[in-house]
Amino acid sequence: MARSDMQKLLWVDLTARRSRVIATPDWLLEAFVGGKGLGAKLLADLTPAGVDPLGSECPLMFLTGPLTATAAPSMRACVVTKSPLTGTFLDSYFGGRFGPEIKYAGYDGIIITGRADGPVYLWIHDDTVAIRSAAAIWGQDALAANAAIKAALDAPDAMVVTIGQGGENRLPFALISCEYNRQAGRGGAGAVMGAKNLKGVALQGSRVVRVHDLPAFQTACREAHAAIAASEDCRALTYGGTSTSLAWASQVGVLPVRNHADQVDPKADRLGDEAQYKHLFLGKAACFGCPIRCSQMGAIRTGRYAHQITDIVEYESAAMLGSNLGIHDVRAVAHLTKLCDRYGIDSMSAGGVIGFAFEAARNGVIQPPEGVTLDFGSVAGAEYLLRAMALQENELGRLLGQGVKRAAESLNGGTRHFAMHVKGLEMPAWGPRGTPGMGLAYMTADRGGCHQRGFMIAYEVGGREYKGRPVTAHAVAGKAEILKGEQDYLAGTDTLVKCDFGAFAVPPEIYGRLLQAAVGRPVGAAFFNELGERIWNQTRLFNLREGLRAEDDRLPRRIVEEALPSGPHKGQRISAEDMARLKADYYRIRGWDRQGRPTAQTLARLGLNEIPTFVLPNSDKE
Amino acid sequence: MERIHIITHFDRCTGCGLCQLACAERLLGGYNPHRALLRITHQCENLYHFPTVCNQCENAYCATVCPVRAIARDTRSGAMVVDHEKCIACNLCHRYCPLHIVGVDPELKKSVKCDLCGGAPACVAACPAGALEIVHRTVPTPLKEES
Repeated sequence: MARSDMQKLLWVDLTARRSRVIATPDWLLEAFVGGKGLGAKLLADLTPAGVDPLGSECPLMFLTGPLTATAAPSMRACVVTKSPLTGTFLDSYFGGRFGPEIKYAGYDGIIITGRADGPVYLWIHDDTVAIRSAAAIWGQDALAANAAIKAALDAPDAMVVTIGQGGENRLPFALISCEYNRQAGRGGAGAVMGAKNLKGVALQGSRVVRVHDLPAFQTACREAHAAIAASEDCRALTYGGTSTSLAWASQVGVLPVRNHADQVDPKADRLGDEAQYKHLFLGKAACFGCPIRCSQMGAIRTGRYAHQITDIVEYESAAMLGSNLGIHDVRAVAHLTKLCDRYGIDSMSAGGVIGFAFEAARNGVIQPPEGVTLDFGSVAGAEYLLRAMALQENELGRLLGQGVKRAAESLNGGTRHFAMHVKGLEMPAWGPRGTPGMGLAYMTADRGGCHQRGFMIAYEVGGREYKGRPVTAHAVAGKAEILKGEQDYLAGTDTLVKCDFGAFAVPPEIYGRLLQAAVGRPVGAAFFNELGERIWNQTRLFNLREGLRAEDDRLPRRIVEEALPSGPHKGQRISAEDMARLKADYYRIRGWDRQGRPTAQTLARLGLNEIPTFVLPNSDKE
Repeated sequence: MERIHIITHFDRCTGCGLCQLACAERLLGGYNPHRALLRITHQCENLYHFPTVCNQCENAYCATVCPVRAIARDTRSGAMVVDHEKCIACNLCHRYCPLHIVGVDPELKKSVKCDLCGGAPACVAACPAGALEIVHRTVPTPLKEES
C-alpha cells in the first residue's frame, strides 16, 4: 500500500567514501514520524555522549517529513545535528526546493557521517551516489558554489545545498544555503558540514511520491489551501513577508534595539514593508508547493550598495542587522544580509555578535582597528566584522567568530552582562522584557535562544487568547502551561515538516487529515501534542547527556538585571525570582524533576523507556 | 475555429510548482515536478520564474515526426494528444519539440504531453498567482502553403 514516506534512508560515510541505503525502521516512523522526530531519535542513537560536533563521528542529517514533496501546502525539511555553537540538539528548517528533492530521489533523509580527506561535494541522482572533488570550488561563497556545482554537473535542474566561507572556516554560526537561497540558518549546521570537508550536496530524483488515500488527501489539501487563502496572517505574509512585523514589533515594545538595550525604535518603519517596497521588492517567490509566497525578490537599485539582487530582508535580519545595530537604511541592511548569505553565516547570530562588538567597543573593551568605526550605526563596521569573522582573517574576527558567549568569556571586562544569548545561541529579534512567557520560551528551547519553539509573544502582546481568555503580558503565572502546549504542538508538526507560516492558517485537524491520508495511520485529536511531547523529552535527554544543566535554562543578564528604559514595557525585566518561578512551573508541568530531568514516570508515559536503539549497519559485515 | 489554450504570465509566476504537483498527480497518481507536463525555469538568483507549457502547436513537429502517427489533435479539447496504444516510445517527439515539453516518461515508457486535462487544466486551477490562464483563441483554418 502506498504511503508518502519513502521508507529508506541514505547513509553516506565520507571517510570510507561509500554510501548505503537503509530501510527506515517501522518503529522509528511509528514513534517519531519524520523531520524533527526522526532527527531527535537518530542524533541520540548515532552519537556517543560528548560527541564533538566538528568531529568526524557527528552525523549531519537532511530529513524530510511525510508531507514534504506532496501537494500539501507549505512544507519544508530540516537539518539535524549537534550544534557547535550550543553543544545541544540542533534542528534547522529550510524551505525552497531541496527538501522535496530528497524524497524524489527516493529517501526520507540523508545521513552524512565521517570526514572526506579533501574538499568534496555529493551528487545524488536517484540510486547513484557520487563523491566528487570540490577542490575547484572550495573558497567560493555559498551562492557562487551553487552555480558552480550545477555547471560542473551540467545539471541546471539539480537541487543544491552549499556552504560558504563561514562553513569552510567552521564558524559555529555558519549556515547551509539551500536551493535556492533558503537557509538552514541557526546553530551552525554549516560548520558541521565544513568540518566534513563537504562543500555541497546536489540532488536530482525521478521517483513519484504517492499517498495512501489519494481522494482523502486531495480533500484535505483543498481544505488546507482554503484555510491559507482565508487567513489574514497569511495574506499579510503574501503582501510583504515578515517585513510587516518591524513597525508592529516596535509598537508593542519587543523590537531589539542597540544590542537589546531597548525594545522600541521610532525609526523601525524605515526597515519595514513600505521601505522595502520602495527600495527593494520587485516580485514574489515561493518555496516549493507554497501558495503564500512570502519571499519578496528584488534588487537594491539605488545608493552605494546598488545593483545587487536581494531577497526580502525578512524580519529577523532586518531587526538584528538593522535596529539592533542602529542601522536604518534598509538598502544597507539588505547589503549586510546578502553578505551573510554569501559567506554562509546566520544573519541573526551575526547581528547579535556585531551588536555585542559595537557595545564592547563603546565600552572600550574592544579596540577597533585603525580606520574602522565599531559603533552603532556603522554599516562599514558591520561589514568589516562580517568579513573578518567569515574569513577568519584577523584576531578580532577569530574572537567574535566564536559567538557572543565564548567571546564574552574570553573578553571579560563586564561583557557578559550584554552577551545576548541563551545556551550560546544569540537571541532572536524578539526582546522578552515585558513578555516573561517569551522569556521562558527562550530559557527552555531545545536549541537555545530560539523564538520558533513557542512564540509566546503572540499571546502576550499579539492578542491571541488561551482557552478563550486574554493572556496578561507581564504575568508570570500560567505561562508555563501555555508554553508547554505550544512547544509540544510545534515539535509534533515539525515532523511533517510544516512551515510555521502555513501553520498560522492550517489547524491541527487538517494536518491530521493530511497525515492520515498520506501514510494511512490513524491520527487523533491529541496526536501532534503527544508526539511533540515525546520528541521534546527526547531532545531534553540528549541535551542532558551532553552536559546541559538546569542553571543553563536562563536568560541573558541584561534581560534579568536591567529594567527596560522606555516603551510600553518600560521598567520591565525578568528577574531571577521570575525566572525561578517560571522554571519551577515549567519543570513541574513537564513532569521533570528540579534539575530539569524527565522523571521515570514521564518517560514511561511517553513510551521513551522502551524504544529500540537505531544503529547503522556494520560496514565490516558487508 | 475556437480552441482553448493555456498562456503563461512569467510576471506573476512565483515558482511554487503547485501547477506541476497538480499535473503529476493527474498523470502519475503521485508527485514529482520533474515528471509533470509543464516546466518552471528559475533564473537570476530566483528573481525570475518562467513557466513553460505545451503550445498545442498548429504546426506540431511532435506529431509530424512521430513514425506511428500517435500524436493527433483531439477534436473536443483541441489539444494534441498521444495515443498510448500506438506510441512506441521512440522519443522523436521530444527530440524535435522546440520546448522539449513532450517526451517519454521513464516509468510509463510512453510519450506523455499536456492534453489540457480534456478541457479543464488542473495546473491552471492549482495556480494561486494567476500565472497560468485559459484563453480561447480563434485559429485560422489551415491553409496549404506553397501547394
